[in-house]
Amino acid sequence: MALPQSLRASVIPPELELIASQQLVEIVPLISMEKTAFISGAYGPFRPPNKAKIPLWMAVNLKLKKKCHIVAPAWLNADYLQERLTEETLQLSFSKLPFRFTEISKVILDVASDDLENPDKIRSLLKDLREARQAKSREGLKTLDHSELSLPNLCSMEINEIRPYFVQSMSILTQLVRNPAPDPLPNV
Amino acid sequence: MDWDTQYELMKAGRPVTVAGPSHITRSDHTRHDSDEGDIPMGLPSRDQEGGRRRADFLVDEEEVILTPLEQLTRHWMNERHAPDILPAQEDLLTSLLDHLRRQSEAVQLLREDPSTSEEEHIRIMLVQTEVERVKFIVRSYVRTRLFKIEKYARFVTTNAEVQRRLTAAELDHASRHAKITDQHFYVSVLQGLPEKQSHLDDTPLFVPPMVTEPDKSRPVFVHALKQCPRIRLPDGAALDMEKGHISLMPYAVVEQLVARGEVELI
Repeated sequence: MALPQSLRASVIPPELELIASQQLVEIVPLISMEKTAFISGAYGPFRPPNKAKIPLWMAVNLKLKKKCHIVAPAWLNADYLQERLTEETLQLSFSKLPFRFTEISKVILDVASDDLENPDKIRSLLKDLREARQAKSREGLKTLDHSELSLPNLCSMEINEIRPYFVQSMSILTQLVRNPAPDPLPNV
Repeated sequence: MDWDTQYELMKAGRPVTVAGPSHITRSDHTRHDSDEGDIPMGLPSRDQEGGRRRADFLVDEEEVILTPLEQLTRHWMNERHAPDILPAQEDLLTSLLDHLRRQSEAVQLLREDPSTSEEEHIRIMLVQTEVERVKFIVRSYVRTRLFKIEKYARFVTTNAEVQRRLTAAELDHASRHAKITDQHFYVSVLQGLPEKQSHLDDTPLFVPPMVTEPDKSRPVFVHALKQCPRIRLPDGAALDMEKGHISLMPYAVVEQLVARGEVELI
């Protein structure tokens, strides 16, 4: 088959990670390298200890070989995430986070937690954020109808998570509207 | 700039990027001499693409024009989420495949060269990793289209509007697939049935059509890339999507916006 069964209904998290890994991060290289032309652009040169900006996948690759340190993005620290979490619990709407924050934070925590300050605190904050936001998206299911549902500030991984049942529910609602049940017999 | 203009530019060989302040450009000024001739992968330098990223992580990146790879990634996601078959991106795919081939050849040349240093090996490895990443996206994109084409093969052979969105090779595949399955069904079952029931495209009354068509009422998650013209929702309400707006709605509502590249499916 052209597309495996598991990929037909939706995109899967590793694919989202692949897309997110194209985003640029700052690194402190430990090796020097001349500027090199890639398909997505030219990166380098690396001149330790000067910082350089490269795609996340490349940073992960170098990090695993102990050839760079990854500089955490401005939002990936305990203070910033704590603020968002407070906002998240006070407001009804979703707080504004980078669209692919789940994927990026996971990748960085997996390979470069030693480059982060207080990685355990960051992990638990991300988990709390996730739970707070998940509860809100479940609430959103109540307001679902057959025509439209706005989801401001929802992130890529969260959308992927709610996709199966939101899409299915909306399809059923659409069918119900299209073929309304016959009126019950008038009372005699 | 809209998609069509972008493709025209790409065909004409002009870089489809905007120059921006860049770390790479900066380092170029300071080390102009040593770096100038030192891009070993046999390609023109792409400073502008590397440097045109957003500075603030919360600012949407859609102001800038995408690199061919980013364009393909977007088409790949649209294709994965849309119930219908979207227009083929032949020019974009051709240019990326060319680029992949050039990168692979450059890697091959450097590999065979015994004087290649340790530092070079890291660059080769990185270039090769990227080649594999891009290949994965290209393959997944093509396979997604193929899956839909096979699923809707019969519909494709009878609908001129869908045929316009396919490449010649895809169209050929669709008609052969439809023909072979038809023959198979006929030989294995249909020839034994009464004449009235032996067709694959009967349209009896009160029964859904037999030919599988894309279900355009399936809901999709939409992300507005710019301020969109007003759309009419199934319940009659109107909606103006601001840039950055995310919404779940039936595909039929946003079909035109997807085609014009004003929204992406996520």
